[in-house]
Amino acid sequence: MRYVLRRIGFYCVAAWASLTLNFLMPRLMPGDPASTIFARYRGQLRPEQLEAMKEAFGFNDAPLIEQYFGYLSHAVRGDFGISISAFPSPVTTVIGSGLIWTLLIGITALVISFVLGSMLGIISAWKRGSKLDNIFPPLLIFLGSFPFFWLAMVALYVLGFKAGWFPLRHAYSDRLTPAFTWPFISSVISHLILPALSIILVSIGGWVLGMRNTMINVLGEDYITLASAKGLSTRRVMFHYAARNALLPNMTAFGMALGFVLGGQIIVETVFSYPGLGYLLIRAVSNLDYPLMQGIFLMITLAVLGANLIVDLLYVRLDPRVRGS
Amino acid sequence: MFKRTPFFSLLMIMMLILAACGAAVTPTTAPSVATEVPAVSGNTDATAAPDAKPTAVPAVEATAVPAVEPTADTSGSADALKDYLTASTEQQATWVRNFNPFVTDRRFPTLYGIYEPLMVYNTIKGEIVPWLATEYTWSDDNKILTFTIRDGVLWSDGKPFSAKDVAYTWNLLKSNTALVTGSSAWTYLDSVTATDEKTVDFTFQKVFTPGVYDIMNQIIVPEHIWSTIEDPVKFTNENPVATGPFTEITLFQNQIYGVGKNPNYWQAGKPYIAGMRFPAYPGNDQANLATINGENDWAGNFIPDIEKTFVAKDPNNGYFFPSAGGTVFLYLNTTKAPFDDVNVRKAISQAIDRDQIVAVAMYDYTKPADATGLSDAYPSFKSQAIVDAGDWTTLDIEKANAALDAAGLTRGADGIRTTTDGTPLKYDLNVVSGWSDWVSACEIMSQNLKEVGIDVTVKTYDFSAWIDKVNKGEFDMSIGWSTGGATPINFYRGQMSSATFKPVGEVASENWHRYVSKDMDALIEEFSVTSDPSAQKAVAEKMQEAFAAEAPAVPLFPGPMWFEYNTTRFTGFPTKDDPYASGSPFSTSDQLLLLTTVKPK
Repeated sequence: MRYVLRRIGFYCVAAWASLTLNFLMPRLMPGDPASTIFARYRGQLRPEQLEAMKEAFGFNDAPLIEQYFGYLSHAVRGDFGISISAFPSPVTTVIGSGLIWTLLIGITALVISFVLGSMLGIISAWKRGSKLDNIFPPLLIFLGSFPFFWLAMVALYVLGFKAGWFPLRHAYSDRLTPAFTWPFISSVISHLILPALSIILVSIGGWVLGMRNTMINVLGEDYITLASAKGLSTRRVMFHYAARNALLPNMTAFGMALGFVLGGQIIVETVFSYPGLGYLLIRAVSNLDYPLMQGIFLMITLAVLGANLIVDLLYVRLDPRVRGS
Repeated sequence: MFKRTPFFSLLMIMMLILAACGAAVTPTTAPSVATEVPAVSGNTDATAAPDAKPTAVPAVEATAVPAVEPTADTSGSADALKDYLTASTEQQATWVRNFNPFVTDRRFPTLYGIYEPLMVYNTIKGEIVPWLATEYTWSDDNKILTFTIRDGVLWSDGKPFSAKDVAYTWNLLKSNTALVTGSSAWTYLDSVTATDEKTVDFTFQKVFTPGVYDIMNQIIVPEHIWSTIEDPVKFTNENPVATGPFTEITLFQNQIYGVGKNPNYWQAGKPYIAGMRFPAYPGNDQANLATINGENDWAGNFIPDIEKTFVAKDPNNGYFFPSAGGTVFLYLNTTKAPFDDVNVRKAISQAIDRDQIVAVAMYDYTKPADATGLSDAYPSFKSQAIVDAGDWTTLDIEKANAALDAAGLTRGADGIRTTTDGTPLKYDLNVVSGWSDWVSACEIMSQNLKEVGIDVTVKTYDFSAWIDKVNKGEFDMSIGWSTGGATPINFYRGQMSSATFKPVGEVASENWHRYVSKDMDALIEEFSVTSDPSAQKAVAEKMQEAFAAEAPAVPLFPGPMWFEYNTTRFTGFPTKDDPYASGSPFSTSDQLLLLTTVKPK
């Protein structure tokens, strides 16, 4: 219990630190949002309108410290304010337009990649030197080292555009209205395959390698030899004795990755026109949209912290040694 | 070691396969700047992402295969939009519902599509088309402008439109200074009043006749709706009531929305099309892929090598890129020597190979700029005589060298010129990273200027950093756009008047090069007090002469306005042979001409 409380305390401090950084970082960037958005109109708006925009966006020249406390109290209440680049829509509405799709593609790809990658890692470590072990890990690492946008684009061009097997864009058919019906769900799935596949191809190598390496270490331990000597089944030794212990580092990485899912799969979402958060984040940064940036970054940091907390708590279950200390 | 051999051979095979794939794809870089050079008078909806990184566009070589929608179910209501025209205008990954015409991030076609102005200004023909108003007259002292409102116009909810709505809209803008519009009319207007149901008077504080273009261009909102809105600045106007051809939001999803026709449109029988639908494309590449694939009927995006990649694919495909966008300039910071010397500026201009820039950086979509600095948007004002006489915008290395020698900038041992106090002419040329057409133009200029002994390094900045530097005048050389408008007055005001001048360090959204011409100030004043078109034309010629003589900045090329169409499902788009409007879907008022002309096939 003390362990759990200590962890929670640590995460509270980390959350405060990230909130503060989140406030400061955007304000260190050059320029101001009104001038940037104004400039995007390339001489279409009259200079006098710059003042109107500043007024509309409600920039106050209050001292930074005052702005900071205002920001903190709003953040605690979950009020991120009004987005500047999508003015006058609230940040929550803007984030809401892409959140669910980012979660869908991010989590699907991550879970498949993690489960499949860890399984492959376990098996290839167990059967060291086999054909499987010789082919898969290096091949996947090789794929993972490709520039991501290139791989995604080749997939889109060859499988989507040329062959016409997969849709070219979006999360579901433009001809459908979201509803809990089979045509809609199958449309979502068919739109998910190509983007998810390209994420999995690129990320799976890391999971395989991570799992395989720790697994090999664990397999050298005495208790594995003992377990085998006791005559336990191969499967039981492999999963309950070796894999359970080897999984810990990968679990941590999984927790981190889960948090980062919220940042959006920027490249994949852009290439496949997937309506997620990744592009919103780019737009927020390039328009100096502080409220939107803060909203998204805060979500990411909180998600990373939250996921890590969960992993920490899971450790308590997975690893009795943690409980002891 | 040897155990691994099969695997290396496998790697080699994989590499070969992938290399072959790579060769087939041949990515071309797409200048994303081009995605949104709306650059004409009035407002624009173009809040797309001009700075989206230019990733590669798969150059399409094979025939386009229609994308398969594996589950083309027709039961959803989104499918009811199948008769709609599909358009690609703004670039966003997801749509946020907002049809407020007074904020910057509104969905197309809020301006000049849902809402309408009193009169439409046709950029291509340079003429005024009466719209919600039938005519305007000036009082004898040019201080009162009177518009006569058209009979029989209804709002889309069936209520009648009147002069009161016009006066209401203007007074709404006066009392809510945070509302963003395309004009600054309240800086010279005194009052706007509806004298009866059909007439509205605009009274000026001081005579400013070019204001008529600002006034006619302003879209009008209904008093009976907007007077009930508590804070118009924060109003997202999800279901607009308006006078335009398209007013009904028939569908709004995060990746697509549709706008249906106005049941009460005042032009009987129009619009001919049932509505328009807008799929969300996050960038130029994705929009172009759809356009090339025949999915968009109307688009306004830069497409590289368009004859080969788009026109050759389908006889129904066409494009029209009028050079009527704002002129793109090389700005020299005139607060710094030697750029304060007109002869040096002209010499730099003469050293630049505009033909090469136009051909290489701009795919021949535009043409070299001339010494008036004006784009093709001013057919009724531009003087051919001044264009012909202005020799400093044509390439002439010898003259450039001679002028630089005469200015006392002698070449050092390394071939680089130095000022009289020995400082070498070494400068950074600022450009936005990712705007590859501009970056490419800058690379060419850097080469050109080396030939005359000026060492120029192209320096790319992120958009917000770049705009911060030019706004504050903290640069030596920078490429940049220029201001448009129905008359040349805004353009010249932005180039060389004291009204737009700000000291270095203060934000100036025009006149980045910090140049003031007293002559131009006087001409602008002279232009502003007459409502006689021929007198205005004469003054405009003097303005062009002043620009050509003083060369405050170096014009490069007029910006093309992007517009592609596909006539498989719809006809009646403007074409090179029938340029009845600009066609570019970037919310200039003349898009109303297109929207009320296009027909289903």
